[in-house]
Amino acid sequence: MQKETAIKVENLVKNFGKGDNLVKVIENASFEIKKGELVALIAPSGAGKTTLLMMIGCVQEPTSGEIWLGEDKVYDNRWTAKDTRKIRREKIGFIFQAHYLIPFLNIIENITLLPQTNKVSEKAAKQKAMELLEYLDIADKAHAMPSQLSGGQNQRVAIARALANNPQIILADEPTAALDAQRSISVIKMLKKIAEEQNVAIITVTHDDRILPYFDKIMKIENRGIIFHTLDAERII
Amino acid sequence: MIDLAKRDIEHTLGKFLVTAMGVGMLLGIVLIMIGVYRGMMVDAEILLDDISADLWIVQEDTLGPFAESSRVYEDLKDIIYVMEGIETSEAMTFQNIQLPRPEKPVRVVAVGYDIRGLINPVNPKRLIEGRDIKNDHYEIVVTDKTGFKLDDKIKLGRNFYTVVGITHSTVSNGGDPLVYISLKDAQDLQFSYSNKEIQNNEARGVKNSETFVVNVIVARVKTGYDVNDVAKEIRKWQHKSVYTAAQQKMILTKNLIEKSAKQIGLFTAILIVVSTIIIALIIYTMTLEKMKEISIMKLMGLPNLLIISMIVKETLLLGVFAFIFGNIFSHLTYDKFPKRIVLEIPDAWALFGVVIIASILASFVGVKKVISADPSAAIGG
Ligand SMILES: Nc1ncnc2c1ncn2[C@@H]1O[C@H](COP(=O)(O)OP(=O)(O)OP(=O)(O)O)[C@@H](O)[C@H]1O
Ligand SMILES: [Mg+2]
Repeated sequence: MQKETAIKVENLVKNFGKGDNLVKVIENASFEIKKGELVALIAPSGAGKTTLLMMIGCVQEPTSGEIWLGEDKVYDNRWTAKDTRKIRREKIGFIFQAHYLIPFLNIIENITLLPQTNKVSEKAAKQKAMELLEYLDIADKAHAMPSQLSGGQNQRVAIARALANNPQIILADEPTAALDAQRSISVIKMLKKIAEEQNVAIITVTHDDRILPYFDKIMKIENRGIIFHTLDAERII
Repeated sequence: MIDLAKRDIEHTLGKFLVTAMGVGMLLGIVLIMIGVYRGMMVDAEILLDDISADLWIVQEDTLGPFAESSRVYEDLKDIIYVMEGIETSEAMTFQNIQLPRPEKPVRVVAVGYDIRGLINPVNPKRLIEGRDIKNDHYEIVVTDKTGFKLDDKIKLGRNFYTVVGITHSTVSNGGDPLVYISLKDAQDLQFSYSNKEIQNNEARGVKNSETFVVNVIVARVKTGYDVNDVAKEIRKWQHKSVYTAAQQKMILTKNLIEKSAKQIGLFTAILIVVSTIIIALIIYTMTLEKMKEISIMKLMGLPNLLIISMIVKETLLLGVFAFIFGNIFSHLTYDKFPKRIVLEIPDAWALFGVVIIASILASFVGVKKVISADPSAAIGG
């Protein structure tokens, strides 16, 4: 069965600044990612990994090019929708190096905030949140505050939060950088399970080659463009 | 929907309440200042209401005894009395005197009145002990704030006066305690000179007729006569300034209190501005502390409106709590002030309106910060 496309990028260009200060970060990047794929994004520091993620996530505007998310062309040399936030809250889940949970909301509120903004009823949102917490094995912490959880537990809550709005895409920027090797592997295994079971495309920026074997694909920014690596390439980082 | 403002406040409750209390004290002082002004208005009218004269006849081109010195002859009272439309007329004096006390003399305003006259400034409703003056000489009625008791002897001039009555909450238009003495005694105190001076004046051929001088003639008008018409007649024939009760009130409130009102108004305005700035600063720092979360909320796609309404609601709640604390504070402290403070509910509501507007203005700094927050700044690296 042919897998559906989750993300398609064509001739994407991103420059910062102008004139003498012009910084070319991405030039003519084109690639495609299917639903259910767990993809690693690797490159040296400053190569533009976060920038690329933020463009796909409709947070930072590219300089030119085209971006499709699922069926929808969201960028065609300019945003096609007036409100990119609506795209973000309906289609995309974000995970970062730090959990960035809202400190004054408890765990379940942190997870249900976004779905409730999307007009999902409180009851349905809570039910879904509990399912996610159970799925990620921290259901007992549902009513705790983020400050009462460990770093690894909070990171799992952050993953639950990214999943709460049933996104088609999850963009994770170094989600394991703050975790030890064992926890990193368990987070990646979790992401892999989510990608497969929920049919979500996940792009994960990482510097950690110990977790690379768990990915379906490895995407690298090289010479300001994108190249794909096979896992059996000797050393990629 | 989750109430973000409520959750955030619960999370920082102690800090929030302390801030609200601090701002509340400022607002309490605002309420007390307004109360001072209201108290002045009440004070100004007490004596006028107790005397309840329709007409105040004073020296020509003066504003009357409460605004500037006025001297008229006592016999003017009889001339006024026979004019058309006059029911009664009496002479009165008002003077600032010091009542000696062992610790510290008390500054009071003494009202001199004809104890056999028909216009008695001692309001029986305010007389809480003793009686009004019955003897022509050396009796005094004092207000309780002076600290004197019944039968105390007070030395005024060359003589000792006996306290025969005590009134409650009678003050002059300036807020000084009132005492009452007979017209004769008042004239002696106000206008008589020392013996040496009288002898000197006699040697110069000047007769000492000053004791027949008073400060004002007050009169009541017969029913069926228009006070303004009667006033006009007196002005025409007697070359005196005549004020109706309403005009006298105006002189007191407009001319005398207006300056204080301006002063109080200015203080009040400054305090409100200071409160607004404090609220704004607190909200600004509270917003700054949440900047990371706000950026993340924006990045996840939460609408600005949701975040802005959190900030505005927090500011409003801070204002409302401060207002409540302000009211508590003012009600706990108002009777500790020496002058009369009248706390009125409409004034509190007016302040509430101002606080709400001030809070909305104060929230702008936080809101501006939210709008300009860069969602991608949250995740640096
Ligand atoms: N707002 C900006 N203005 C100018 N230059 C920028 C801006 N944001 C990023 N850059 C530049 O773009 C390049 C890519 O930055 P980016 O943050 O995407 O790198 P990265 O691959 O995520 O690096 P790291 O591994 O350190 O996180 C860098 O050279 C950076 O200096
Ligand atoms: Mg980065």
